[in-house]
Amino acid sequence: MIPFLADIDPVFKVLAPRPADWLSILPEIAVAGLSLVCLLQAMFLPKALRSLIPITARVGLVLVAIMALTNGPWVQPTDVASFAGLLRQNLPTDGVRMVFLLSALLTSFLAEGFLRERDAAVADYHHVLLVVTAAFMLLVQSNHFVTFFLSLETAAVGLYVLVGYLRRSEASLEAGVKYLVAGGLSSALLLMGIVLVYGALGAVPGVTDSLNFTQIGKTLAAQSVTHTISPLTLTGIALILGGVAFKLGAFPFHTWIPDVYQGAPTPTTAFLGTASKAAGAFTLVLLATGPFAPIAVKLAPLLAVTAVLTLLAGNLGALATTDLKRTLSLSGVSHAGFILAAVTAALVLPGVTAFGYDVEQVIVIYFLAYVIGTFLAAQALVSLPAVEDHRRPQLALRGLLRRSPLLASSLGFGIGSLAGVPPSVGFIAKLLVLTLLVSAKLWWILGAALIGVAISIHYYFSILREAVVRPTDADEELAPLEIPFGTRFLIGALTAASIIGGLFVLFGR
Amino acid sequence: MENTSLAHHLILAGLLFVLGLTGVLMRRNLLVVYMCLELMLAAATLALVAFSRFNRTMDGAVLVFFVITVAAAEVAVGLALIVALFRKRGTVQSDALTTLRD
Repeated sequence: MIPFLADIDPVFKVLAPRPADWLSILPEIAVAGLSLVCLLQAMFLPKALRSLIPITARVGLVLVAIMALTNGPWVQPTDVASFAGLLRQNLPTDGVRMVFLLSALLTSFLAEGFLRERDAAVADYHHVLLVVTAAFMLLVQSNHFVTFFLSLETAAVGLYVLVGYLRRSEASLEAGVKYLVAGGLSSALLLMGIVLVYGALGAVPGVTDSLNFTQIGKTLAAQSVTHTISPLTLTGIALILGGVAFKLGAFPFHTWIPDVYQGAPTPTTAFLGTASKAAGAFTLVLLATGPFAPIAVKLAPLLAVTAVLTLLAGNLGALATTDLKRTLSLSGVSHAGFILAAVTAALVLPGVTAFGYDVEQVIVIYFLAYVIGTFLAAQALVSLPAVEDHRRPQLALRGLLRRSPLLASSLGFGIGSLAGVPPSVGFIAKLLVLTLLVSAKLWWILGAALIGVAISIHYYFSILREAVVRPTDADEELAPLEIPFGTRFLIGALTAASIIGGLFVLFGR
Repeated sequence: MENTSLAHHLILAGLLFVLGLTGVLMRRNLLVVYMCLELMLAAATLALVAFSRFNRTMDGAVLVFFVITVAAAEVAVGLALIVALFRKRGTVQSDALTTLRD
């Protein structure tokens, strides 16, 4: 790539990126470029044309999604490393990319109207949103702790901005600061973990790059045979997994979630709950089945206990709250428990499948279902300004069925998809995870998951009861809501995707 | 350098890290909490440089530059948020952050 460096040092000839390397991350480059386009438009477009900015972002995201779904050099059929081992596409790459792209696209739809109403800049929001999306897409492909740490931090810093985006809202700023402190703490723990693993394994003879996942995996495999894994390495691994558990919102690192999700602007809450959680989940799979696979025997009990506690903490917490956004955030914690359960199944019984899907595919399906459900519910929430009123949030949904049957049905389908009610893809996703647990004979986790589902039905449907059944006489709670055409279309498309997606997953292969 | 061993560096880094962690958990002033977070990152950086020196690999030393850049970006965003909160509330004590609750 850089000829004169290659003349100075022959190592560059081996390490310099090849054209094929750049092609393999073309979707990520496109999303990052799109974020710059948003910023340039904000600088040079006249005021009257500013509404083009979110449209450009959406069209771009759809094009990238189509590109990611077609077969090209950016989708490797087998496990291929690029950039001299910095990146590696070993998860079902196209599916993982779709989760992030879809989540960013739907966030953009929610954000435009939401931000306009509050007189906040739309272009900047899209810029940061796209940067974070590109960073997440790179994160799940990383095969080296340098790329891992950098893409994770790029995403984290961008998310601090998105959470504290409404500068005039106390709630948004408070959520931003709380997320900042909690996120900074987890990053510091994660970095210390990376440093300890780097140092402890770097001292082993024959290891040339102790930050590379492949080399870490090989070294750990050799050491686990001879039982010579040092306590320093294990401490490092524990710190790294703690940092990832924080991103995923797993017990006991879930305590920040209700506050941050409640205070953040609702589009950001939806993005945090889907894309950020998905990034945490895929990273956990990447690490647990990649470099740390040789110590899976040690990790499995730890993950199993975490899964059970996360399921219980999320569901019981959601049962005890009255604020709508808090309830949904804690139900998100219980969804993280489901993901942990699936990962545990993969560690206990490597190669376990459910209906022909392996664990990575099941997690992709689970998140696609979760994205659809979350955004259907969030669509109803952003249309109701009273949801942001923290003094009486539980009244916000009163009379929704009378005010707008469409929004009520959107909320109903979203909640149904999250709860796992049969016609929706959410049901199929939950079924797949439960099948994995049965195949791996993890009865304890299966029990906790079923209890969780039973509890979740109660709090999910008490939200619906508020919107549909609860009588109301106040005039302001009966005023009909105007729903723009774009929103109507989106609700219809997501509802259709929720039903067709479920059938496709079951009978599509 | 002749008189110090890897253990010396690691003990210092560990002390700084624990100091930072204690500060994050115990202090109530957001600015102090934020400084303690940076202290934790600095401790990790120190350990990274020490490992890089004693293991004779350059990767750690290179990662340090990335960590410094990341920390700078985090400080820029973090201080902006804390300043905005101070303007709104007139305090940076974490006890005063009570808008978000059930």
